[in-house]
Amino acid sequence: MTSTTAQTIPTTFTTVAPDNWKLAIVVGLVVSLLACLILPPNISFWIVGAMVAMVAMTFVVNAYHRHYYGGLLVSPAIAVLVVMNIFPLLWSLGLSFFAYQSNQQTIRFVGLANYVKILTDDLKAPENWANLTNTAMFVVLTVTAQMIVGFLLALMFAKQFPLRKYLLILVLTPMMLSVVAVGVFFSNYYDPTFGLLSYFIRLFTGEQFILMDNKAGAVAGIVFADAWMWSPFVMLLVLAGLVSVPKYLYEAAAIDRVSGWRRFWSITFPYIRGLLMLALLFRTIEAFKMADLVILLTKGGNGTMTISYHLIRIANEQNKTSEGAAISYVMLFIVIVLTNLYLYIANRRTEGA
Amino acid sequence: MTARTKLQGLATAAGFALALFVGGATTASAEDVTLHMAGPDWPPMRIMKDMFDKEYKPASGNKVTLDIDFIPWPDFYTRVNASLTSGEKKYNMAVSDSQWLGAFVEGGYFRKINDLIDADPDLKKAMDGMHPKVLNAYSTYPNSTPNFYGFPQFPDILVSYARKDIFCNDEEQKNFKAKYNKKLPCTGEEFDDIDWDLFGNIGEFFQRKKGDMLAGKPADDDFYGIAFQVGKGYDFSTTSVHSFVWQAGGDIWDETKAPSGHAEGQVNSDVAVKALDHMLSFIKYMPPVAKTGTMDIFKSDELFREGKVALNVDWVGLGEASLDPKTSKVSDKLIFGKAPGTKGADGKVNRSSQIGGQPFVLTTWNTDIINKEAVGFIKWWLSKDVQMEYASKGGQSAITEVYNDPKYVTLRPWNRAWASQLDDQKDMWHVPQFFDLLTQQQDQYDLAITGKQDAKTTLDNVAKYQEKLLTEAGLIK
Repeated sequence: MTSTTAQTIPTTFTTVAPDNWKLAIVVGLVVSLLACLILPPNISFWIVGAMVAMVAMTFVVNAYHRHYYGGLLVSPAIAVLVVMNIFPLLWSLGLSFFAYQSNQQTIRFVGLANYVKILTDDLKAPENWANLTNTAMFVVLTVTAQMIVGFLLALMFAKQFPLRKYLLILVLTPMMLSVVAVGVFFSNYYDPTFGLLSYFIRLFTGEQFILMDNKAGAVAGIVFADAWMWSPFVMLLVLAGLVSVPKYLYEAAAIDRVSGWRRFWSITFPYIRGLLMLALLFRTIEAFKMADLVILLTKGGNGTMTISYHLIRIANEQNKTSEGAAISYVMLFIVIVLTNLYLYIANRRTEGA
Repeated sequence: MTARTKLQGLATAAGFALALFVGGATTASAEDVTLHMAGPDWPPMRIMKDMFDKEYKPASGNKVTLDIDFIPWPDFYTRVNASLTSGEKKYNMAVSDSQWLGAFVEGGYFRKINDLIDADPDLKKAMDGMHPKVLNAYSTYPNSTPNFYGFPQFPDILVSYARKDIFCNDEEQKNFKAKYNKKLPCTGEEFDDIDWDLFGNIGEFFQRKKGDMLAGKPADDDFYGIAFQVGKGYDFSTTSVHSFVWQAGGDIWDETKAPSGHAEGQVNSDVAVKALDHMLSFIKYMPPVAKTGTMDIFKSDELFREGKVALNVDWVGLGEASLDPKTSKVSDKLIFGKAPGTKGADGKVNRSSQIGGQPFVLTTWNTDIINKEAVGFIKWWLSKDVQMEYASKGGQSAITEVYNDPKYVTLRPWNRAWASQLDDQKDMWHVPQFFDLLTQQQDQYDLAITGKQDAKTTLDNVAKYQEKLLTEAGLIK
């Protein structure tokens, strides 16, 4: 213990030592600032990067000297998170205040102009708003469909019946397929000339059936495909909750001659509520980002344009990076607000229960 | 090991690695040159790659490899755009749709090739021998100025694909004559004369339900007269709309008249609105998938190859699949003719049409040796014999002495209708804002195609958007 105490004696601020992180921060900041002012951006970028690495290094050495191994073990994960997630996130936040297009070599600070443009421009704002309401519609419809179907499937698979194991594998398959495969499959399935759906309906009506030529049909087509793919995910989570309910509770309930309905609300539901909420949260966030199925099935036609697909087109195809960044931050804001609201409600419910 | 020796060790290793890397790169470039290229995944590219691998012997004596990323068409723009704008500098050459030129020239990715052409008499001769409409569309930016960026890779044109067994059937011929008092076309030459009125008659005439008589037999499925591209993806309705507008005497926003030319008044002129209405009037005769807004070039081609449609207007570049019995139920009953045109008041048919096809370009980060080998490859590629062989395998050539060769028309069944249409080709804009213009009008046309909006509103919306966007970009003043 004595050696540890000896090593943790704080070095003075000016000591050049590998664990003097305070000095490192100051030096890093000064050098970065100078580099940004004097050198061209493509060089100063790397100098700032090197400074960040240096400061991180002093933190590590410092933690090592203090025997703070827990923090050291976590640090690689945090470093990856910072480099791959947090840094790009902040970078794009910065970009949203500039006029920048990824296929042009100029950049200009414009403050909040991008946000003003996407929220108030007489051509862009109504489009963004329409796409956002479409997204909200998809969130409500797909998540509801998945929760109901997934829940019913789970109730079914919680019981033992012949061939259950094989059926379970079959039901889980859609979730494991690639979205592109599912999209192509369903676009063929819905095709009026070649499709299976049109074929069956024609047996009764004698007419080729065109599902996707109006908004209701196109939305139904996408929601069905999405529910087909992701209901098994909800099922899996709910099933995990169902099998964890202790048998003796049901036995006790049986002795008390409790009705099936009551048994469900008093015994089963409390066990699966947490997992249901989790499934709801996951699926809501995912549904909010829906673009893949829309691209594959309708290309955003017939009133199915979602804000995510719109964003892909703005940022990746039209190269309007800053405008795209601004839209995505507005989206992020909405998701964060919704998620927190949801967590707040969920927690209050739990406390009340 | 102290920290100091560790550091020294690291530095030595890094230095060694650097030496290896630099050394490796220099020795490699002396003999082995790899040309990395981005291209769409379809026959015209596959054929080129195949010919390169089997036949190309570089004059420099270096070992040249052509490494092509074959990218599926629907993702092609997105992938190339992502690669170029990300700054990864992966490709030395890229196939570029003609309208991308402005965006990527202004971005600093596509290399101007005037110096390479001027320095090489053979290359200059090949470029001078190019059909001027093709050269302007594929190579110049700003459009129609002597600033060259691209070499034609595959010059594509819309043609009519028709079913011989349907059109040449005596009974159908007789009934058609009785109904419309017009001769139902049956040979390629007769299809060359086709206008949209006749095209519409064909559409109406050949709508058959399952079990109705079709060319002497009961139809095994619902059958449709006509198809052409009216899809929401990429440029799959723009191509059709532009052709209709040009043929009616209207125009799109003309980039060569910037900055004095306007979009408003031009794009939504009465002529253009009428032309769009004219185009929309054919959708009811097409297979029902057209009403969903997903009738693109691949869907109409598939419907035609599956024998559901009598007459399809599509790119020559997709033609090989119809000829192949493995992929086509109609491979032995094909007729090809020119794409339909609009008959004017003077009785003349205007066949102005949106040009397809692509140039390939060099990127700005290429080293001298890469450029040298790329030019060597391009010279070989644009030489007469190679172009002739390419055409015989299913490609096309825009070089005058190649397509004027009497042998050329015999190489592929559509070639007869191909060269004669070159003069009628026009192209959309090449300005950097093209994708913005394109997606907005694709969205608007889709609303009209799926019946949500009339032609006038559609073109008013397009014009308003273009006027604003182009004014902000300084292209309209």
